[in-house]
Amino acid sequence: MNRSELIKSFAERFNTPDYEASAFVNLFFERIRQALIDGDRVEIRGFGSFSVRDYAPYTGRNPKTGAVATVGPKRLPFFKAGRRLKAHLNG
Amino acid sequence: MNGKTLTKADIVDYIYEKTERNRAEVKVLVDHLLELMKDSIKRDNSLLVSGFGKFESYDKKARKGRNPQTNASIMLPPRKVVVFRLSRKFRAELNPDEVL
Repeated sequence: MNRSELIKSFAERFNTPDYEASAFVNLFFERIRQALIDGDRVEIRGFGSFSVRDYAPYTGRNPKTGAVATVGPKRLPFFKAGRRLKAHLNG
Repeated sequence: MNGKTLTKADIVDYIYEKTERNRAEVKVLVDHLLELMKDSIKRDNSLLVSGFGKFESYDKKARKGRNPQTNASIMLPPRKVVVFRLSRKFRAELNPDEVL
């Protein structure tokens, strides 16, 4: 499923017009996105949590060519599935 | 990294401020949205949110494990796990100086 399908099923299930469902779903992800950009943790009980991890720069190699490559520092969110999400998938 | 944590209640407040619905309705709808997301990850094994990322579930095989306390060897059952893959666009927003 992608974003527009999610919006569509949200609209159908809760009998809301598409434009409202779309605004709702977009606001939901926008708020999470903004928190992660600010470096905050996000915790959604039952679904999961995101934490932002900082990765130090390192010197790696291109495994195909063997050429040395420097990999710069980066910040990446890490998602940890919540207990209920895990149970839902395995239930 | 600072110590702040965004919770579901904060997301509900944010949507509430920007829509015409009352707070209780927004809370119910956020919970329903999360249920739809969980169902989608289960049914399709993936949920792709453009500009954000993709939740993917995949199968882990059964494997031998050990109870670290008793050293008893046990068989861990096969299970599904979820990973989140970041969208390129979002990655670029988190790392404005990164050259890819």
